[in-house]
Amino acid sequence: MEIESEPSLVLGIDTGGTYTDAVLLEYETRQVVATHKSLTTKRDLAIGIENVIEGIHIQDPAAIRMVSISTTLATNAIAEGKGRWVALLLIGYDPELISTFKMAGQFATPHYFFFEGGHDLYGREKKPLDLPAILAKVNEIKGVVDAIAVSSYFSPLNPDHENRAYRAIASICDLPVVLGHQLCTKLGSVERATTAALNASLLAVLHDLIIAVRRAMDRRQIDAPLMVVRGDGTLMSDEFAGRTPVETIHSGPAASAIGGRFLSHLDEALVVDVGGTTTDLALIEGGQVAVSEEGASVGQYKTSVKAANLYSMALGGDSHLTWGHDKAVEVGPERVTPLAYLAWLYPSVEAQVRTLTMRTWSHAKPDWLEYWFLLREPQESSDGVTPPLLSQRERDLVDLLRTGPQPVPAILKHLKVLHPAQAGAHELMRQEVVGKAGLTATDLMHIEGRYTIWNAEASAMAWQAFCQFNFMDPVELRQRVWTQMSEMIVHAIVTFLSGRPLPLPDRQRGLDGADRDMGRWFFYNSLYRAHPHLETSIRLRRPIIGIGAPAGIFLPEVARILNTELILPEHYEVANAVGAIAGSVMVEEELLVYPRLSRDGLEVLGYYVQASDERREFEELDDALANARTLSRERAEGAAIRSGASSPQVTVAELADGLDTYRIRAKAVGNPRLAR
Amino acid sequence: MELERNDTKLAYERIRERITTLELAPGSVIDDGQLADDLGMGTVPVREALKLLAHENLVIITPRHGLYVADVNIPDLERLSEVRLALEGLCARLAAERAMVDDITVLEALRQEQASTPADDLRRLIDVDRKFHQAIARAAQNRYLADSLERLFGLAQRLWYLALPQLGFLPSAVERHLELVEAIKARDGGRAEQIMRSHVQDFYDQVRQVLAERRGMDSELT
Repeated sequence: MEIESEPSLVLGIDTGGTYTDAVLLEYETRQVVATHKSLTTKRDLAIGIENVIEGIHIQDPAAIRMVSISTTLATNAIAEGKGRWVALLLIGYDPELISTFKMAGQFATPHYFFFEGGHDLYGREKKPLDLPAILAKVNEIKGVVDAIAVSSYFSPLNPDHENRAYRAIASICDLPVVLGHQLCTKLGSVERATTAALNASLLAVLHDLIIAVRRAMDRRQIDAPLMVVRGDGTLMSDEFAGRTPVETIHSGPAASAIGGRFLSHLDEALVVDVGGTTTDLALIEGGQVAVSEEGASVGQYKTSVKAANLYSMALGGDSHLTWGHDKAVEVGPERVTPLAYLAWLYPSVEAQVRTLTMRTWSHAKPDWLEYWFLLREPQESSDGVTPPLLSQRERDLVDLLRTGPQPVPAILKHLKVLHPAQAGAHELMRQEVVGKAGLTATDLMHIEGRYTIWNAEASAMAWQAFCQFNFMDPVELRQRVWTQMSEMIVHAIVTFLSGRPLPLPDRQRGLDGADRDMGRWFFYNSLYRAHPHLETSIRLRRPIIGIGAPAGIFLPEVARILNTELILPEHYEVANAVGAIAGSVMVEEELLVYPRLSRDGLEVLGYYVQASDERREFEELDDALANARTLSRERAEGAAIRSGASSPQVTVAELADGLDTYRIRAKAVGNPRLAR
Repeated sequence: MELERNDTKLAYERIRERITTLELAPGSVIDDGQLADDLGMGTVPVREALKLLAHENLVIITPRHGLYVADVNIPDLERLSEVRLALEGLCARLAAERAMVDDITVLEALRQEQASTPADDLRRLIDVDRKFHQAIARAAQNRYLADSLERLFGLAQRLWYLALPQLGFLPSAVERHLELVEAIKARDGGRAEQIMRSHVQDFYDQVRQVLAERRGMDSELT
């Protein structure tokens, strides 16, 4: 008997804050076949995705059985307020309560409106739904907003008013409508409204991305299912993602954690992903990414989206290195383009840096190491709608930068201003017309030869000039930067795991006298071994899995301080893209079982089983629970298959929610179904 | 829930709009690759969408000569009006018998929107009219009836656009819609059916007249 050994390739793509990574994996043998990195184009992620698919050189597109993508798009769009305009219709919410507790800022849209209706804690209609008022409002705003979100009071217990509003709104306008109860079964009314509004604002954003990826696949004759990573690291089909984009919040870091687990084969570990812009921490427990039950937060918004329990810090390979007070090097929090890259792109920069090393001390201030450069011409607007109106100063700046990258002092002199804030660059930088470059950890990695793709010579000269300014030894100072970054990560790990902030100690005042608090002293002494006689130590019980290109540099020290083992699996620099394809397809269906009360509320007449779109009624609780178990199992399994799972396994859990209310949660998990 | 907006559905909606608004002229050849580029979409969903439209008789697929937009002619119009007259009438009757409070609220809202839309905003008027008919179909609570009407409506809308330069918007429609909503509210099935039938009949009479006049002009010219 002959077994045909046609390879089953899967393509994973991760669009991070700095890099878009791709990995081609043989699915059965789990071997990495090819990897590629390209720069993320924030103003249009599709460009970076095109480049990375181009760059990975796919020999036989027909062999690709699945493409999966993790994306920071949703998280960024929320954090930067770039989602679409949404009208949030609140049914049965108390306007006074919202304003007394200042909760309106939580709604993620300034266009929210109150209507009568809603249900109570037992799913009974609190007030009749004021549908005419809703339709009148929709008519008034439908030309202004891009999507509508509806959240009704206690809708998870009784979605009737949301469903009725949906049917009526969909009859009079073509805008997409998002309902709160479909995204969340928790009872918190503000979080539900926030989640619905954010989901509505992201619909078009994610939809555009999916179409862009589909087109890129089309052009290369890749005919395969497309999956999108959720915030908890599981996968959903592109169609599901198109409807619930809010679930992709934090999908990038979650994919890294999944990838780290996949490559290291460890079921218990702390994953530390050192990227270009941020370092993200996540825990692997029992082979899964630990999930936060509370719901993910983005910026100021608290959602009810289930996402990996993450800790993210603004520290990465491209964190800007600058001089702070007392001859201390500051690392970040700003992310800049590494000088090595800029000099590789523009040879003029290397020459400029070279002249700097020959200048006298007073003419070689470290500001000369910060460059501004033109990323693109300003007329092509980032959102494609309104061409940005340039002020005279902005035009002057763009004209100057058309001649090539310039160091900041030269720019200020040319524009005849004293301070960078006067140079009109702020808006241009926000629109990604002008970029900022400077010394970064990535440059130091070039100097040490750990990283060789860009101009190491320019990095070395720039670092020399930087050190000279404070008469420091370049080798020693480099070592100090590494130590400092490791310490920052250690503090983040302790903060993340303990749930308590542990600020960096004030080195100037010495560790011992810095803090009179015994608990703090214990920590500091354990981390820095400061005391001559008392030895304390702190031990991380799990190994650290390092991910991302700079992980190999900072993390050995981190592991040493925390007395644990560091594992850098093969291909750890693209583990995030591996994670995009290594996840399982998962769908959860949660049903609520709660009592039906008599009008006076004194008597239990029976029990309801409430699903998102149907409700059943039973006399006995046991019958209701048994029915809910069967129904949730069927629904979860069906949804998982529709979402691209192959033979999903279903588990059902039952949680008492108080007040004679129960949550029946079915979870269907399966491997993604590959094409053919 | 009908929120699903996958590629195919989006492509379907966009192409259908281009056909019913005559942007893709009756009888013209469709180049699916070019169409995919125009729409900024992949060829796979565009092809799927064209198949769906062929099922609706808006696109003709021939095995040898490729794809083209279905032609319009007067005999077609007669057959189409026969079926629509009967089905829309039935639909209005059932709506009067079965409409829920929410359905009537929707019809009211659409009627008011129609009344307040300026007469020269034709696209919007046509859109509101379509939604009005869809809302009645929904109130009739018969999925098969609604599906059938939806398919026919695409063909009817194209006729409307064809006649538009001469026809404009039917001023009687606003009045008719008001009467219809009143009849449905009063649960008067017979009257609802009668109003709807004459409303649809009016439409076809006028379209027929416009097309016949135009044909006359065309033949005089040639």
